[in-house]
Amino acid sequence: MSSARLALLIGLLLAFAPAAQAGLSVSNDRTAIATKLGHKFVFHSTIRNDSTAPAGGLVAHLNVVDLSGHTYVDPEDWSSHRTRYLAPIPAGGSTTLPWPMNAVNSGTIGVYVAVLPRSGAPVPPTTGPTLRVRIQDRKTLNSGGILPLALGLPALLGLMALGVRFRRAR
Amino acid sequence: MVVVAGQELRDLWLGGRGLVLSFALSLLLSVISYLVATNRALNFLEQRESVNLTLQVAIAVGALLALLTAADAVSGERERGTLESLLVTPVSRLEISLGKLLAALSLWAAAFVITVPYVWFLARGVGLVGNAIAVGLVVGTLLAIFLASFGFLISVFAASNRVSLSLSLLVLLALFVPTQLPSSAQQGWASDLLLRLNPMTAGEHYVGKIVTNGHAWSQDISWLVSPLIAAALFAATALVAGARFTRLRGGASG
Repeated sequence: MSSARLALLIGLLLAFAPAAQAGLSVSNDRTAIATKLGHKFVFHSTIRNDSTAPAGGLVAHLNVVDLSGHTYVDPEDWSSHRTRYLAPIPAGGSTTLPWPMNAVNSGTIGVYVAVLPRSGAPVPPTTGPTLRVRIQDRKTLNSGGILPLALGLPALLGLMALGVRFRRAR
Repeated sequence: MVVVAGQELRDLWLGGRGLVLSFALSLLLSVISYLVATNRALNFLEQRESVNLTLQVAIAVGALLALLTAADAVSGERERGTLESLLVTPVSRLEISLGKLLAALSLWAAAFVITVPYVWFLARGVGLVGNAIAVGLVVGTLLAIFLASFGFLISVFAASNRVSLSLSLLVLLALFVPTQLPSSAQQGWASDLLLRLNPMTAGEHYVGKIVTNGHAWSQDISWLVSPLIAAALFAATALVAGARFTRLRGGASG
């Protein structure tokens, strides 16, 4: 096959392949986040419509993936509102979404937002850049001050039981 | 009845057994509360879920303690050779039965009192303390009456104390089995019916709806029907059986 024919074939394939939504782009308000285990954090993503027509019927979805390769990630634990149905975005307009998240595991995770149409011909989703979240491990010994109660009540009952036993022995 | 109940309560609490069981319960609740408080601090568990978990464990274990004490009530006395002296006292067998049941239920009362500080600690700040404690008291009391009466009933007829205790435990475990089914197996009308008919699962479901989902008490009140019926039915049956069939020898030949 001549190089001209090959170029023509590739051109045709590209022309007829389903494309991500034209003029649509996703960006985040930051590129990385450092936090601690158990903390909450929020980032914002902006979906911009640079085409000449309004973009309607879109849905944005938050995806969470482990980048360290040894941590199980259940996205539902990280965010309870991962799917947003967007109002139409006018031509040249944009919409910004907050994504509140929980740092459930220590390690490094990647977070990205994908935008896709709710109907019509299937097209690849438009995705934003990956947000790298580094979560530092954290140990909690006396969460919320539970220790005095958790140790005190059994100690009290244990002493009472010992007292009764001691009294009976005498 | 007051005399028998007083004697049974003295045996249980001043004998030390009640306090040792309460100590064990408080240890268990401490471990669970510590774990859920830690998880909550790490945002793994919602506050309502942590209260619900602690309350359900307290209800289950409190009712278990009442069941085991009641399951020992007649068959235990029989094996220790103390039943004869109890039966010759000038007290009716109905009063003996009622006194023993009340003593067994005192373990649930103690378990509930021990649970209150843990529930208060975990539920404070979300306006859940009163509701959680109240629903725990209502459901836990119904389940404790049901299980204690059931254990007492077994104890009256059992040939030995070992049979009474093991049979009571077996039935308790069987009642808890549906709670371990995966949620996919808890769908459909048959499963719903089974959960509603089983007093344990129905009671725990009701507690979950009030505590975790924040439902009004009247919204899921139908889930309380089987614990209520079971408590009334088994208490009446246990008292009648205790009054009529408490014998020096247990089992079929008794």
